[in-house]
Amino acid sequence: MAWNLKSDRPIYSQLVEQIELLIVSGIYPAGSKLPSVRDLAGEASVNPNTMQRALAQLENDGLLYTQRTSGRFVTEDVERIMQIKNNLAQGLIKEFIENMRNLGYDTKQAIQLLEKTAEEEE
Amino acid sequence: MLRKLLKYEIKATSRIFLPMYALLIVFALLNKFFMAVNSELLRIPRAIAATVFVFIIIGLCVVTLVVTIQRFNKSLLTDEGYLSFTLPVRIHSHIDSKMLVTLMWTILSFLVSMVSIFIMSIDKTTIWSLHRFVNELMRVLNKIGFNGYVLVLESILFVIIGILSVTLEIYAAITVGNMSSKHKLLAGVGAYLGFGVIQQIIMSIIMSTCEKSISQYFDSMIRAGELAQVQLAQTVLFGLIAYMVIMGVVFYFFTEWMLRKKLNLE
Amino acid sequence: MENILECQNLVKFYPKCLALNSVNLTVPKGKIVGLLGPNGSGKSTLIKLANDLIQPTSGKILIAGMEPGIETKKIVSYLPERTYLNDWMTVNDMIGFFSDFYQDFNKGKAYDMLARLGVNPSLRLKTMSKGTKEKVQLILVMSREAQLYLLDEPIGGVDPAARDYILDTIIGNYNPEATVIISTHLIADVEKILDEVIFINQGNIVLVSTVDDIRENENKSVDALFREVFKC
Repeated sequence: MAWNLKSDRPIYSQLVEQIELLIVSGIYPAGSKLPSVRDLAGEASVNPNTMQRALAQLENDGLLYTQRTSGRFVTEDVERIMQIKNNLAQGLIKEFIENMRNLGYDTKQAIQLLEKTAEEEE
Repeated sequence: MLRKLLKYEIKATSRIFLPMYALLIVFALLNKFFMAVNSELLRIPRAIAATVFVFIIIGLCVVTLVVTIQRFNKSLLTDEGYLSFTLPVRIHSHIDSKMLVTLMWTILSFLVSMVSIFIMSIDKTTIWSLHRFVNELMRVLNKIGFNGYVLVLESILFVIIGILSVTLEIYAAITVGNMSSKHKLLAGVGAYLGFGVIQQIIMSIIMSTCEKSISQYFDSMIRAGELAQVQLAQTVLFGLIAYMVIMGVVFYFFTEWMLRKKLNLE
Repeated sequence: MENILECQNLVKFYPKCLALNSVNLTVPKGKIVGLLGPNGSGKSTLIKLANDLIQPTSGKILIAGMEPGIETKKIVSYLPERTYLNDWMTVNDMIGFFSDFYQDFNKGKAYDMLARLGVNPSLRLKTMSKGTKEKVQLILVMSREAQLYLLDEPIGGVDPAARDYILDTIIGNYNPEATVIISTHLIADVEKILDEVIFINQGNIVLVSTVDDIRENENKSVDALFREVFKC
């Protein structure tokens, strides 16, 4: 996956978001081992210290845990992952509703349009 | 660290000198062959081979000088200086290694030239006259005794210190020339000539102040016979050696100081 | 000794200009630091002083608490703007040279990186393009396990692909105990890999901050801030 970092926000918070995404989308499944800080930093072309900071933040959030000898793992707590996933989904939905409202659709109309578009896509 | 610097200095220079030595030996053998055949038919190739041989010997002298200048200039004062001066090595060691390698090649070039001439001209008559010369030399040395050997030793020392002193003078001139922002080469030559003038002045001051005692000393020695003349030669050589040592030391520390304190690579 | 580099009232006068004007600066261990400023701002002068290539007019510069000299040269790995490789040597020769003179040189690392770059180590440097030579030089410099890396304009004048290669090499060899100082005026390209930035202009330190602090407090990239600070 390509790391997409914008230039006007702190790098570390963007890294946190993107790793969250990698975990909830199952690219890094529950209980799996994460690449080393250096490899991750190399992949994203960012400073290893910044990557370290982002991972520490995710550890605080309970998404990652460290085993002293063998490295860093994604949590086995699937519920916690689902919770984060739901949070992210809710954020996207809120944004969607907000945007639709700006276009002049109310919630009901927006949902109808959503269903219709989804059907057509299938 | 000096040993490692020497190793790379020799590596950098031997790729120029060794092929020239090989060429010199080859042409010496070629000349020897033409002389041995001595046929009218080979007159022109013989002349060419002889000329080339002379040119190689002249070339060797020129190359020795050019390499001396080039090695110092390139590895310390051009972009390569960025590497040389960030090695964990004292600046003294850089000068030492370059100076010693120059000495080595100068002596080797001389010896190889001698050997090549020897190869070319070796036959019964030359061996015999060489033999006679060596015998005569030994006879004289034995007659003079201890002082004779001192004289030989002094002569060798004179050559070695002379080479080193001139090399250091060249280094100092290059370093001064490098301070000029534009015409580095011209400034270097100018500096070298300037050093010459300064030395002339120093020499003439020394000479004029002790002219009388020196000429008196010479007179008395020359009148005193053969043994005293050997002593005279010893004294003169010693004086020259002492002078060159002093100049060499001055140039050495001057160059080191300039490189350490004043250098600014572009 | 927590600071790998320290400047105390550091002044450097050249015959016609003041290159560094009483600089006070400390750079801690374990950081990747950008030394950012327009051309002629004093970046190279500072780096040359740290390498003992020139002498300060007054003030002090200390590396791991020592004045520049043989002991600091053992722990500082320097990439100058110029290519300093001996043309007649092969890459193998250069690796031999570096491991002869620098005890912290890691041969295996160098050969690894050369293999990844696809450079044949038995080639003479003469036969290589300028870009390849620059990469080889970077590999030599980054193959040392030094405490301080001083990289002077490592990405100036190279194409974007080479730029990525260089930055990846720097990150890939980063050792959390070591500090890397990168001088450049191409900020957009490096800012992602920096912890801290030092803005320097006309011999004065203008700003010292972390990249994320700048982004958080100013809501703009270091590059944008730089353009603002150094607007002509």
